[in-house]
Amino acid sequence: MFFGFMRRRKKKGSRTEAKERLENMLSTRRRVVPISNFIDEKHFRNSVSEMENVVRELAAKYFNVAKHNVRVECEEHNGYVVIITNITFD
Amino acid sequence: MEKVFVVTSGKGGVGKTTLVANLGCALAKMGDKVCLIDADVGLKNLDVVLGLENRIIYTIIDVVNNRVKPEEALVKHKILKNLHLLPASQIATKEMISPEDMKRIIHQLYPNFDYIIIDSPAGIERGFRNAIAAAEQAIVITTPELPSISDADRVIGLLENAGFEAQSVKLVINRIKPKMVKRGEMLTKEDIAEALAVSIVGLIPDTDEMVVATNKGMPVVLNGNQNVSVIFENIAKRLKGQPIPIEADTIVPGGSFLDMIKKLFKGSRG
Repeated sequence: MFFGFMRRRKKKGSRTEAKERLENMLSTRRRVVPISNFIDEKHFRNSVSEMENVVRELAAKYFNVAKHNVRVECEEHNGYVVIITNITFD
Repeated sequence: MEKVFVVTSGKGGVGKTTLVANLGCALAKMGDKVCLIDADVGLKNLDVVLGLENRIIYTIIDVVNNRVKPEEALVKHKILKNLHLLPASQIATKEMISPEDMKRIIHQLYPNFDYIIIDSPAGIERGFRNAIAAAEQAIVITTPELPSISDADRVIGLLENAGFEAQSVKLVINRIKPKMVKRGEMLTKEDIAEALAVSIVGLIPDTDEMVVATNKGMPVVLNGNQNVSVIFENIAKRLKGQPIPIEADTIVPGGSFLDMIKKLFKGSRG
């Protein structure tokens, strides 16, 4: 018992724990989610240009600016769609 | 040989801007003509780290809006005349620039420089997309903590999706604490490289010199601290294709035994 007390248990450093957690965390992180999982890709591509025009017209009307001052871009971000609109005032 | 680099991370505050500034200075010190581009529109910092915040006349937004040519917006460094900065604007948003704009700007600057280094904003949205749009090689920077490594992994995945090949993505580990690594309380460079499956081009230790350098607006490469300066020079050399072993970056913060003795005497005099 005395010797057991003297023999210290080797402490597990936090590096080991971090390594295990990292392996679990990274197992699914790089998964690519294509837009076709949610919407027909051909339909999506065809609709983008039409939708950009509609947004451009609306923004120009409500902000009272020329259409060329409205820039609309539609981006696909790993399974979701972002519509970015910039309006420049002269 | 690639000459357009983007420095990115996903997570904020891991040292992207510091790396860009020091890498730019190291390359310029070697005689290369270098252009640094601050792609962090709205939260610009690269001008501050370089000490050029009072010299900005035009920004990247002026270039995007065709008010000036890219060369006209460049700010020359105070000491290194072959180091230039294309500053970001603070009163604009990342959405005001598109990846196509970035490609156009870099295409115009390309023939005039040996190296172009882009400072990416944190995050994986528009600013990140702009920053990587025209880059030929990506340097992902992370600290040895899990949130930062996890974000770096996400960014590496996005870079792969954007068409970057495995050998075009390199890793820099910042704020390594050798003593903690030795005690088994911090992930090692091998752990991180294995998890992210990319090769390491730099190991930067956690030192006070970085804070002092930023306060002075003088990157540590120009600040005379040999230990840390050598690390950035090593990274620059590796990017140029020189076979510098990664072990050359392993320094003990605080310096050698001789440095400690010097500090001791300095302290007793003060």
